[in-house]
Amino acid sequence: MEQIKNDIVDYLKANSFMDSNSSLKDNDSLTQNGIIDSIGLLELMDYICEKYSIEIPEDMLTPENFDSLQGITNMITKLAK
Amino acid sequence: MRIDAYITEYARKTPQSIALEEGKSSISYSCLDNDINAIASPLMDFNHCRFAILAESGILYVKVLMAVYRSANIAIPLPIEFPKFSLEKILDAAHVNNIIVTDIQYSRFGEDFFERFGTVIVISSNTFGEFLRKKIETEANNPQLQLVLYTSGTTGTPKGVMLSDKNLVANAESIVKVLRITSRDKGALVISPHHAFGNSIINSHLVAGGSVRIGNMNFIDSVFNLIGSDVSIFYGVPSTYRILLRYPDRFKKAFAGVRIAASAGGGMDRDIVKDIRELAPDLEILPMYGQTEATARLAYLPAEDVDEFIDTIGKAIPGVILDVFDSEYRPAKPNITGELVATGDNIMLGYLDDEIATKMKIINGWLHTGDLAQKLPRRYIKLLGRKDDLIKIGDHRINPREIEKNIEENNEVSRVFVVPVQHELMGTAISLMVIPVEGTEIGKLYAFCRKSLPGYLCPREILFIDHLPLSENGKISNRSIIEEYQHVKASV
Repeated sequence: MEQIKNDIVDYLKANSFMDSNSSLKDNDSLTQNGIIDSIGLLELMDYICEKYSIEIPEDMLTPENFDSLQGITNMITKLAK
Repeated sequence: MRIDAYITEYARKTPQSIALEEGKSSISYSCLDNDINAIASPLMDFNHCRFAILAESGILYVKVLMAVYRSANIAIPLPIEFPKFSLEKILDAAHVNNIIVTDIQYSRFGEDFFERFGTVIVISSNTFGEFLRKKIETEANNPQLQLVLYTSGTTGTPKGVMLSDKNLVANAESIVKVLRITSRDKGALVISPHHAFGNSIINSHLVAGGSVRIGNMNFIDSVFNLIGSDVSIFYGVPSTYRILLRYPDRFKKAFAGVRIAASAGGGMDRDIVKDIRELAPDLEILPMYGQTEATARLAYLPAEDVDEFIDTIGKAIPGVILDVFDSEYRPAKPNITGELVATGDNIMLGYLDDEIATKMKIINGWLHTGDLAQKLPRRYIKLLGRKDDLIKIGDHRINPREIEKNIEENNEVSRVFVVPVQHELMGTAISLMVIPVEGTEIGKLYAFCRKSLPGYLCPREILFIDHLPLSENGKISNRSIIEEYQHVKASV
């Protein structure tokens, strides 16, 4: 779980508007904090699908699953089982 | 009549009708009108003053905007997707002393950001605004000014487009006619309301006594649910449609009940039209063309001509006259290239605090769009590029020379060149070609771009080159830069 979280943070630092020295809390909103936009979210989704060899059903593309570090980590853990 | 007065009128005629929806909430015309009054009341002490608005898209944003109108002050909505640094540039240019900010944006931007303002009002969905400070200053503004929209400001000098009450109402009424909007229509607002296109969606549906469902494009499941909730007119920029078309099954289902798919902000290409046609054969596709300087819309392509004339912008909307002028400001003959010009009640008052730029843009009452164009039969108009170097990136009009200068001034590099490159979803994104110096680091360049530019301007790649991308006659232009880029890519 921690490993997934770290991977996502690394991805966000490299590909989003997140400062490399700023910290992100597990439940902070990625969209409301301007860390990612709609195009960025789709790119993040493609990255996750490839990295974890999972398919994300369209009805899971919701704020609960995609708007926070915790949500994304939980979703990956669930789908990668 | 001011835009907010239409709300009052519908609050009297059809008080229970829904005006706005967002997630699980909705608000009737009557309640909306009352809330606008409550927010406007303490603003009445100000006498036609500039108010910046820093608010995320939603019902609250619309209330605040309308309250500023109702109190006869001037609204300056800030595009919240811009980095802090770009917003500060806009604020420097706008000379604005007052701000209304939502509690969410206040905590996001932090107390320091608001130090520059004499008046700070923090508002949330359960309060009508709390004054953190109040300082009323006398301002000398154009008496007709009601709204200022910023066209650029990502880099370079931001330009504030000054719009009057007459501009907003005229354009809203033209759009109502073109889209045949009635009180039964529900429009979907999933793009930013802080720019001309989004703003025009709110105005035209409220003028017609209809409703607007507000959401965003962030979460696909939520977007399709929004469209499927009795929306009759959907609005998007071309990239909005590209994103939605990635999910053909959901598209088909969600758009089954939609009457019109309208677009603006960039040309719809044949591929998008073909894909939409296949999934939703009964959906009317209605591409529109415009500029912030014209409040929003200037032209539209009637649905019946979309297949044949998709490479044109169609014809003028009602209330607007379009023409193509030669370099002597005389109307050009059909099929001869000149500059597209426009006149009508929707043409801006001018640029805020910038008479020189205004005089160059509006000449003898004609707005000079900067778009090169030709007149075709049936008053149709075809665009043929720009007079200047402006390009569309992710459906945003940008000046690549300003972005280059901005990156050069803030990084250890010799020269930077912006190259428009194809992008699956955005249509066009940018890459950078850089002439490095000793201390140039690619990682630092990416970091700078991410922090200082909006998302759509983040470079897809950064290539080092060792000489200027000059054309045969020794000039640098978008074309010479693209040619050099193709050359570099071919040799890799």
